[in-house]
This record gives sequence, structure tokens and C-alpha cells, in this order.
Amino acid sequence: MLAINNLHAEVEEKQILKGINLDIKPGEVHAIMGPNGSGKSTLGHVLSGREGYEVTQGSVQFGQKDLLEMSIEERAREGLFLAFQYPVEIPGVSNMEFLKASVDAVRAHNELPDLDAVSFMKKARSVCKAVDLDQSFLKRGVNEGFSGGEKKRNEIMQMMLLEPRLAILDETDSGLDIDALQVVAEGVNSLRSPDRSFIVITHYQRLLDYIEPDFVHVLAGGKIVKSGDKSLALELEAKGYAWLAEEVV
Amino acid sequence: MSDLILQAAQAEKTTPLPWLADFQQLQNNTWLRQAVPTRKTEAWRYTPLNRLEKGNFFGAPAQVHECSECLQEQISLPDANGDELDCYRLVFVNGFYAESLSALGELQTGVSLCRFGDANEAQQSAIKTHLGTIANDSVNLFTTLNNSQLQEGVLLSLDDGVVLDKPLRILWLGSAQAVPFSVTQRLLVLMGANSQAMVLEQHLSDDAEQNSFTNGVTELSLGEGAQLHHYRLHQEHESVLHIGGVFADLGKNSLLNSFHLAFGSVLTRIDIVVNHRGQGAHSELSGIYLPRNNQYVDYHTCIEHRVPNCTSNEVFRGIIGDSARAVFNGRIHIHRDAQKTSAKLSNKNLLTSNRAEIDSKPELEIYADDVLCAHGATISQIEDEALHYLRTRGISDQEARVLLSFGFINTLIEKIPHTEIAEYLRPKLAVLFARDPELLRHIV
Amino acid sequence: MSQEHIDKLIESDYAAGFVTEVESETLPPGLNEDVVRFISGKKNEPQWMLDWRLKAYRAWREMTEPEWAHVDYPPIVFDEISYYSAPKSMADRPQSLDEVDPELIATYNKLGIPLHEQAALAGVAVDVVFDSVSVVTTFKSKLLESGVIFCSMSEAIKDYPELVQKYLGSVVPQKDNFYAALNSAVFSDGSFVYIPKGVRCPMELSTYFRINESNTGQFERTLIIAEEGSHVSYLEGCTAPMRDENQLHAAVVELVVLDNAQIKYSTVQNWYPGNAEGKGGIYNFVTKRGIVHKNARLSWTQVETGSAVTWKYPSCILKGDNSVGEFYSVALTNNYQQADTGTKMIHIGKNTRSTIISKGISAGKSSNVYRGLVRMNPGAEGARNFTQCDSLLIGDKCAAHTFPYIESKHPTAVVEHEATTSKVSDDQLYLCQQRGIDAEKAVSMIVNGFCKEVFKELPMEFAVEAGKLLEVSLEGSVG
Ligand SMILES: Nc1ncnc2c1ncn2[C@@H]1O[C@H](COP(=O)(O)OP(=O)(O)OP(=O)(O)O)[C@@H](O)[C@H]1O
Ligand SMILES: [Mg+2]
Repeated sequence: MLAINNLHAEVEEKQILKGINLDIKPGEVHAIMGPNGSGKSTLGHVLSGREGYEVTQGSVQFGQKDLLEMSIEERAREGLFLAFQYPVEIPGVSNMEFLKASVDAVRAHNELPDLDAVSFMKKARSVCKAVDLDQSFLKRGVNEGFSGGEKKRNEIMQMMLLEPRLAILDETDSGLDIDALQVVAEGVNSLRSPDRSFIVITHYQRLLDYIEPDFVHVLAGGKIVKSGDKSLALELEAKGYAWLAEEVV
Repeated sequence: MSDLILQAAQAEKTTPLPWLADFQQLQNNTWLRQAVPTRKTEAWRYTPLNRLEKGNFFGAPAQVHECSECLQEQISLPDANGDELDCYRLVFVNGFYAESLSALGELQTGVSLCRFGDANEAQQSAIKTHLGTIANDSVNLFTTLNNSQLQEGVLLSLDDGVVLDKPLRILWLGSAQAVPFSVTQRLLVLMGANSQAMVLEQHLSDDAEQNSFTNGVTELSLGEGAQLHHYRLHQEHESVLHIGGVFADLGKNSLLNSFHLAFGSVLTRIDIVVNHRGQGAHSELSGIYLPRNNQYVDYHTCIEHRVPNCTSNEVFRGIIGDSARAVFNGRIHIHRDAQKTSAKLSNKNLLTSNRAEIDSKPELEIYADDVLCAHGATISQIEDEALHYLRTRGISDQEARVLLSFGFINTLIEKIPHTEIAEYLRPKLAVLFARDPELLRHIV
Repeated sequence: MSQEHIDKLIESDYAAGFVTEVESETLPPGLNEDVVRFISGKKNEPQWMLDWRLKAYRAWREMTEPEWAHVDYPPIVFDEISYYSAPKSMADRPQSLDEVDPELIATYNKLGIPLHEQAALAGVAVDVVFDSVSVVTTFKSKLLESGVIFCSMSEAIKDYPELVQKYLGSVVPQKDNFYAALNSAVFSDGSFVYIPKGVRCPMELSTYFRINESNTGQFERTLIIAEEGSHVSYLEGCTAPMRDENQLHAAVVELVVLDNAQIKYSTVQNWYPGNAEGKGGIYNFVTKRGIVHKNARLSWTQVETGSAVTWKYPSCILKGDNSVGEFYSVALTNNYQQADTGTKMIHIGKNTRSTIISKGISAGKSSNVYRGLVRMNPGAEGARNFTQCDSLLIGDKCAAHTFPYIESKHPTAVVEHEATTSKVSDDQLYLCQQRGIDAEKAVSMIVNGFCKEVFKELPMEFAVEAGKLLEVSLEGSVG
């Protein structure tokens, strides 16, 4: 599904990713943890193609394709989805028209016909309900005036609507109350399937109780310094990151 | 320069209003004493008047025209069910009343609605009493010209407590003719205490080079507790020159909600003056300007707080493309003793071409201390972050730009309380953002 | 708290109001070519300088006074003004402070400027302008060691004619505006600063101006050239003795900030504002402008509390790519004072940045105007401006106005302008008083808080002075 090979990337001439290697097979869930500023979000942005994030070395294979060759929207249409740590507010563009534009674009890429307005509405309403957001959120501007938790749920709603092949969730759990955390986890779990993979970036073991990862990686200083199964997350929760630094050195 | 003054003063009237002759003579004398503003005249420093001066618009009178098919089509405004909006409709073509296109029907008691050419004695007297008194404080010399040149107009007068049962829609249509011509348009709204109304003014024209100069002045008088929703939409052909104004007097606890739009005309200069004259009055003023090609749009707004305890809120947004130019001047004037005033103004602009230009001048003039006043003006581009977000959802860069630009003004369309007008405008505005309908399908 | 009470609080006595009895050599009132020749001759100026002045004078004769400013004052009769006065002792210029007229030294002491001490302690070189002629310059030799030239304009004309000829009028041309033209014709003296390439000026440079003779025009001319990669911080402060007649002050300041250089220009202006009835006071019509080249930075900071009428717009022409312009201003008006002040930021180069922070405080029957221009030229790709204008009104007889002009011709330029007005609220006062702070102190605290963003831009020594100045201006008869 996704093969990251010796990925180096920089932002504003500052080296942030310093050789990431990661292999994600269909159906797998990979959790990425790591201290603040270690480069987790950067990895997400590099994978989604954000401007200003420059790959200086390495390669990324997405399915049969070279991910790094693709534009932002091509990646999305190919099935890569990034749930943002800080989703942006876009007043004036309604959530509904935004979602429709997005779904249509992805479907067109897969040579599927546009959904008619009624089926789309139905689908939108059902995912909206699934993440426990009021229907009125569909009419509001994209993320406009949404609370932190509502923004995160809006991200999950989009994911459910777009049904990506690879979803990267960047701290989708931070700022969520317990109920919302479950809503998000259920959303993710409902999409789990043998041909769909997830990268879950988080600081808290707690989320991984709900979304069980196959692998847990620790990203520190722009590198994956340790990988393991879900027990690693428990270990991190107990010991923090300091011991890893020693181990690496 | 003075050629324009003279020519305009001597322009021939085809259907003069004899009962208004004295007033018009006086106004004409005033007009003759005017000097055409120059670049050094502060209120006109950005406005290019050379087209007006060179256009010879006062040489020949406008002609009465058969209404073209194109114009007839433009008249349609569907309601929420897709039927034609139920309203009082007055239609003028090149300034002349078009009875066949108009629909007045039965009027409620307490409602006086007529065109000037049809005014009965009582209506004539109301017009004579109020005409020009609300626009009185204006510095816009073209109001004087309007006073002296008008041959038609609309009067809406509501008795105390009357709630106008249907919207009033006034269509000022332009129809092309071979020789340059000028049209004078006028609306006078007199609202008694606690009366309510919705008035929609539209400036339209057929799809041909107009070669015309339009001077449209609107005067609104709101009595105590009166509420008016007013729209003024400039949708003319790109060749029209339009200079006009909207002047409002707000009585105690009255409420004015006035929405403005300009995407037609090669030159649009609109002066809007809102006088808060009675305590507790509130005004909401909003507007959108979308000049393209070589259009020039200029809104000069002036919110006068003359008495204490009034509030005003003003929001104007513009997107300027190609070689177009927009000017926005938003003045808030708090008179001495107008304590406890709250006045806000926001003006935001997007430039989409490197030949486009915007000049924004928000002004605060404050002579009272216990007030809350703020204005903000920005000139910016589409936000990178928003653009990125849309693209990560698979939306193409092009479509994302259209969505975001449209979104920039849509925030104002969304606030329009009459949904049928919002729905009517949306597609008309969307087409200004892209030629390819594929790019528009998610906004209309 | 009653209005009267507040009024009392903000009344102020002019702390610097006294007259120095120094004999002056003063030209009779009136202006013509002979006066220009006289001034030039008196200073033994070379022919080119006289020609330059005459050119300015002839241009001025054809010009009219600007009327667009939001100020109102009786017409100035330019023929009733004397255009030259110099202290008698000028012939043999004192070489050290000991030689300076003791009367003069006493004046500075009264103003709280113990010259040698302050200069020594704060590391400040002081070029004192007393009336129209430079009287003393200290630290000159120390500055010269690092190649910095800091002298009076008259000296510069004699000693560094190439520099003066190259740069004088290059930022503010003779015909720039009515008052700049007048200044160009009759400027008396002023400061000249030259910082060579790569040099960081070892100390903050400072000048104190005073107007003394009644009916004497004061026409300062300042020119600062910061060569590539150099840095300088220049402080200008002024205070004037109490006089009845209105006095005209029309200064010109030109700054040239070459590639990668930085100039920080700070002003505390406390000319005599007139009395509580609006009688007397200085008319202050100033043209200040800098040209900012590639990667260079020009920062204007001003605290304006004085003058009866102020007309002043320190500006930045951001010519070079990545150049930066800043304007931080506090303007306080009281009684019948009128100020029309602000800035112009002309963005010409790519990625140019500008910041404008303006704080206006109006009290009494005064009028305080912010007038600013932000212009993004067609080449100003990626340029940015941020403007914040806040007005504080104290009392219901004053006025505060904001007239920003924002013009953009580039789609990638971003301009943000915000303005607000507020007053010292009863709640704020109540809170302070409830905490045991008296009303006078409370108003002064609130005003100081309001100005904080600007004060923090001032050099240390000045920040103290500025705070004191506001306090004096707000000082009343309470307590
Ligand atoms: N645009 C930028 N300019 C400069 N530095 C940046 C930029 N974006 C990110 N960085 C830096 O890159 C480093 C990695 O940032 P990143 O956001 O990837 O961290 P993170 O692991 O997601 O942290 P957190 O757990 O706090 O979300 C940080 O030091 C950050 O400051
Ligand atoms: Mg992060």
C-alpha cells in the first residue's frame, strides 16, 4: 500500500525528516507516536503533498505509483486522506458544497458517475449522524466557528464519505471528550477493511485502546527510532520518551 | 469641463412634469453653478469622469423602445417554488414607464404607490414636500442634476402601521440606441411610523453596447419604528455609466437593511448616506462589488450618527479582476453628543489580477467619547491554507479557487434575509468567477 | 468620576515654559531672495548651496499652502516671520562645554538635560541646536574613530560637500511640498549623520531642539545616510519655552538607508502647545521621509505631545526588495491642540514589509487625526502591511479621526488595516480607585498601557522620558 524509503524532507530550509522508512500493507493500522516537534505532522504533510515541504531524499510508493510525483489533489483522488491536526476555517463555502465537490472529484477520478443530489444528501446525512454532528453542520461554512472537537469530527466525517485507501489521522483524538473519542474510533473501525490502511498519529495510548494498531512506531528527531506492537504504546505511556533517546545513542 | 455642465443643463425633456417645474428650475440653477470635480476634489480623487465628459450623453433624448426579448427574460424573478415572485412591479425602459411589463394590481389601504407621471394631487404634494430633502446633505453634485433632469420616478408612501403585503420591485431597464443618451431614475420611499416594506431596485439592460449615462437617486425616509429591507442591484451591461446615490433618514427606533451589488457598468459611482436622526435607529449596510475587464466601481458610503444610542454595521466586499478598479470609501461620522453609538465597518478585498487596483479608504470622524467604533479594511489573496485543504480532498486547484473566491462574497449572500433573492443572485454571480460550468457546478 | 474631574486631571502646565535671555542676532521679518542670500552668506556657503536654496525659494513662491489637513489655524503671514537668528557667541564657537554660554547651560539644566553628565552616562552624543545654529557637539572625535560623521548641517556643507550634494534633496526634493520648499530655501541648520559601510554606530545619536526667539521661524534640516550594512539609532527630542505668539516650525528630515542598513529614528516632540485657552503654541509642519533600499530597515518612533498644530507624516519609501518600514506613534492632544499626523508606506520592491501602530489620545477640546497612506505599487509582489490605529478619547469635547488611504495594485500584496476608538471608562477608573490608586495616577496608568506597544520601541533613555512626558501632560491639580 505505502512504502516509504529513506525519506528526507525540509521546511524553510530546515531539515525535519531525516530518513524515514515505513512499509504499510493493506489492512494495517500503524500508530505513530513521538515527542512534540519530532516531525509527525510533517510526515503527514509531506505525504499529502503540502507546498513548502520539500523532499530532499528518498522515495514513497503508493500502490503502484510514485506518490511524490503526484499533485495534492491527485494523491487525494488516488485515495490518500489526511485528517488535519488543525483544520482550517473557510467561511462562505458551505460544508455541503465542499463535500460534494470533493466526492465528485474523487469519483470522477475513479471513473464513477457523480452521485445525484438526493443520494449524496442521504449519504452526507448518514455520515454526519455517524460522527454525531447535527445536520445543520452541513449547511455551515467549512469548519466555520466549529469547536475543536467538532472540527475533528468533521474530518472523520469527510473520511467516511471519501472512503480512502490510506487515511492519515493527525492527532484526531486531541481535544476530544470521551464520547467523541469513541465516535471517532467507531468511525475509523467501521472503515477498517483488508484493503484499507491507517496511519494514526497520537500522543495518547488511550486512542489505541479503541483503534487497535498492528504496529506502533516512535518518531523522534525526524527518524523512526523504535517500532513494535501495541505493547510499545503502553511502555511509552509508562516511561515517556527519554529512555528511547538513551537507547538510540 | 464646463461643457458637461452646460450640455446637461440644457438637455431636453420629452415628458416634463409641469408640477415639479419650479423645483427643477431651482435645481438647474444650482447645477449650473457647479464645477465638475477634478482629481483634487477629495471625494472624487479616484473617480475618472473623462468618459462622462467625452460621451456626449446629453445631446439627444432617450427613445421609447419596444422591450426586447432579452430584457423580458431578465425581468423574471422566481420565488421559492419556482413561480414568478408575487410583488408589485414597476418597469421602466430608458426612463419611460413600461405599463405592459409592470404589475401593480390592487393596493392595500394606507399604501400610496405610483410613478411620478401618474401622481395624483396628493401624491404630487408628497413628492414636492420630500423630494430632494433626504439627499440634501449630499456632496454628490449629480444628485442636483438628477433633481433638475428627472421626468419619471416612483413614489412609495406608507401610512403609519402599514406592512406592505408584497415586495415592491422596481426595474430600471436600459435598451440600446444608436446615439448616446442619458436616463434619470428616481425613487422616493416615505415610511410612516411602524410601517414595514421590502423594496428591490434592479438596474438591468439588454445585452448590447448601451452608450448611456444613468443617474439614479433613491431617497428613503423611515419614520419612528419603521423597518425597510432595501436592495439595489447593479446588473447593467458593461458599457453603461452609472452615477447615483441612496440617501436615507432614519427615525427613532427604525431599522434599515440595505444591500448593494455592482457587477455591471463600466463606471459605477454610488454614494450612500445613512442619517441616524432618531435615537435607537439601526442600520445594516452590506455590499458586493465585482468589477472585471476595464470596469470601475466606486462606493462612497457615509454613516452619519447624529443622535445618541444608535447602532450601525456595514460590510462591503469586493473582488477585482483583469484591469478593473474599485474604490471603497466608508466614512463613519459620529456627531458631537451622539453618545453610546456603536458603529462598525468592514471592507475586504481580493485582487485577482496584476493589472487590477483597489483603493480603500475607511474613515472615522468622531466627536463623542462614549462610543464604540471600529473599522477594518483588508486587501488579500485566497488563503493558501484553505486552498491546500480543499486540494487534499481531491478538489482541483482551479475549482478550489472558484469555490474560495465565491465563498469570499457568499458570506454576504448567505445573510440576505430573502432567500429567493439569494437564490436568484447566486448563479448570476457564479458565472463571473469562471466560464467553465464544470467549475461552477458545486456553487449554483 | 465627573467629566470636570477628568478635565482637571488632563490639564497640564508646561514644564519647560521659560525664556532664556541669550542675546541673538536676528534678521528682520520677511522673506525674499536677499534673505536667502543673507542666510547662505552668513554661513559662508558655497555657490552651489546658494543656488540650491534659490531654486527652492523660487519654487516655493509658486506654491500654495496645503489645505487638506484636518487642522484649523489663522493664516500664517510669511512676511511677518524672521528667517534667521543665531546666538551672538557663534563667531567663536565653543570647543568644549566650559566655553558654552552659562545661560544656555542653565537652560538645559532647567529642562533636566545636564548635558555632559547625561551624555557621558548614557553614552549619548548630543548635537544641541539652540535656535538656528549648532552650538556644541560632543563625542565627535569618538564617533570619528569608527568613521561616523555626526555634525551640524553647516559643517557638513563645508567639510563633506560631495555627500551633501549627492543626498540633500534626494529623498525630499525642494519642490516636494510647500513647507519642504520653504525649508529648503531658508533652513538654518540641523544635523548631518553619515555611517560608513558595515559600521554599527557605537552610540545612540541625539539632538535637542529648542525654539527661543519669539517670531522666529525654525527650519531644521536633517540628513542621515546609512551606508550598506550599517546601523544607527538616532534620537530627536525637543521642548520649547512658553511664548504667546505662534511660532512656525518647518523641519525636513531625509534618511537614506542603503542595502542591508538600519536606521531607527525616534522623536519625542514637546514643543509649546499653547495655553489652556488655545493661545500661542508652535505650528509644526514637518516633512520626514526615508528611502529604504534592499533588505534595509527604517523604523520611525514618535511621541508627539506638543505643538499647537502638528502636520507630520514620517514616511518610508520601500524601494528595495525585502525592505522593512515601521511607524510607531503616540500622539497626545489636549486643550485646543490639533494634530494631523501619520505615515506613508510606499511599497515598491518585492516582499517589502511595513507595520504601522498609531495611538492617538485626545483630551480637552483638541482634535487628533491619524492620516496614513499604504500603497502597494505594481511591483510590490508579496508585500505586506499591517496597520493598527487606536484612538482614546478623554472627555466629550474632543475629536478623534482616522483617515487611512489604502491603495493596492498587486494581487499578491496583503494589507490589513484596523482602527478602534475607546475611552477611559468609568469602570476602569473605578477598578483602579477601588484598588487604592488615585484617579490621576489611574488615568496616567491607563494611558500608558494604551501606549505600551509604542513605548517599547523607544530606546531606553527615551522610553523613560516619554512616560514622564505623558504623565506631565496628564498631570493636573489633583492631590
Ligand atoms: N513552516 C515551518 N517553518 C519552520 N519550521 C517548521 C514549520 N513547520 C514545522 N516546523 C518545525 O518542524 C518540526 C516538526 O514539526 P511537526 O509539526 O511535524 O511536529 P509534530 O511531531 O507533529 O509535533 P506535535 O506533537 O506538537 O504535533 C518542529 O520543530 C516545527 O517547529
Ligand atoms: Mg503535529
